[in-house]
Amino acid sequence: MGISFRELREGVHDGFPIFLGYFTTALAFGLLTRTSGFTFVEGVLTSIVTFAGSGQFLMMNLYNAGSLLLSIAVSVFFINSRYIFMASSLSQRLADPRSIPGRLMCGFGTVDEVFTVASFKGRKLSYSYMAGLIGVSYLGWTSGTAVGYAAGTFLPDVVQKAAVITVYAMFASLLGSEAGRNAKAVLVASLSALLNSILILSAGLSTGLSFLISMIAATVFGAMIYTDREAGLE
Amino acid sequence: MNKFLLIFTCSAVTLLPRIVPYFASSALSRLPRFIRKCMMLLPVAALGALIFPLALTDFGAMWYVGLAGVGTAFLVALFRGPMILSIIIALISTTGMLMVFPA
Repeated sequence: MGISFRELREGVHDGFPIFLGYFTTALAFGLLTRTSGFTFVEGVLTSIVTFAGSGQFLMMNLYNAGSLLLSIAVSVFFINSRYIFMASSLSQRLADPRSIPGRLMCGFGTVDEVFTVASFKGRKLSYSYMAGLIGVSYLGWTSGTAVGYAAGTFLPDVVQKAAVITVYAMFASLLGSEAGRNAKAVLVASLSALLNSILILSAGLSTGLSFLISMIAATVFGAMIYTDREAGLE
Repeated sequence: MNKFLLIFTCSAVTLLPRIVPYFASSALSRLPRFIRKCMMLLPVAALGALIFPLALTDFGAMWYVGLAGVGTAFLVALFRGPMILSIIIALISTTGMLMVFPA
């Protein structure tokens, strides 16, 4: 497959907000691996071979709680099961669905933020574009982990606290522009937000299970209120 | 516990659910129309649950700090502002709120 530098640059451009959000989140992860007794190599290796926000935090929490390897693996798989749906959805949008290295790369890089930015691109996705988008996000995640481990807490406290918002701001921004195109998006997102809040805060479900239920319920609701055309189905 | 075993096990249970669906697309395209429609709408449905309630609870009892951040980001995007502007304004309003309401 040919490489288009224009597409690659566009991917890097679209991925820059993800870079910012991941870098700051990974600072916290790097620090956590350090305080959990991981070496620098072990901490950074975790981010290099896994590339998952919530899954990695969950792994460290359970490891620190002294859980068995099997129960850590099952829990991490569970919180990651949403990726099955995200990857299935994204695989339908590839410009060239046959390339094996291309699909491996997209699979490796199907994280929440890459998935949402790519999904709302509104056209078929080239591997050059995806390489830019995934590459810059991956760089933010791995370098943030390394810097977080090495430097510890060097950001001012108030900025460190506020930086948590960057990832959510990105999601809210995607929702805002989608709502500008079709107001039904607000209805669908409100349902998943409401369900997820109730399930986590009142019913005390784990975030992984709650997310899965809320996402699927709102998706079915969306499929009922959107026309085929609005949903992007030919 | 062997840490390398832990790290690579977690890597496997993370990457498998992400990679395998890309190699099952011929099966996916034969799925019923309603299911394929659901897959197209999954991103919108995911957004709500990706934001709430964690954007609020990440700030402990000060849920309004998180709400100010995601609210301003949403509004900027609704009025066609670029994503990076959304994020910068969210950061500023969140930092501002934290300075006005110290814990």
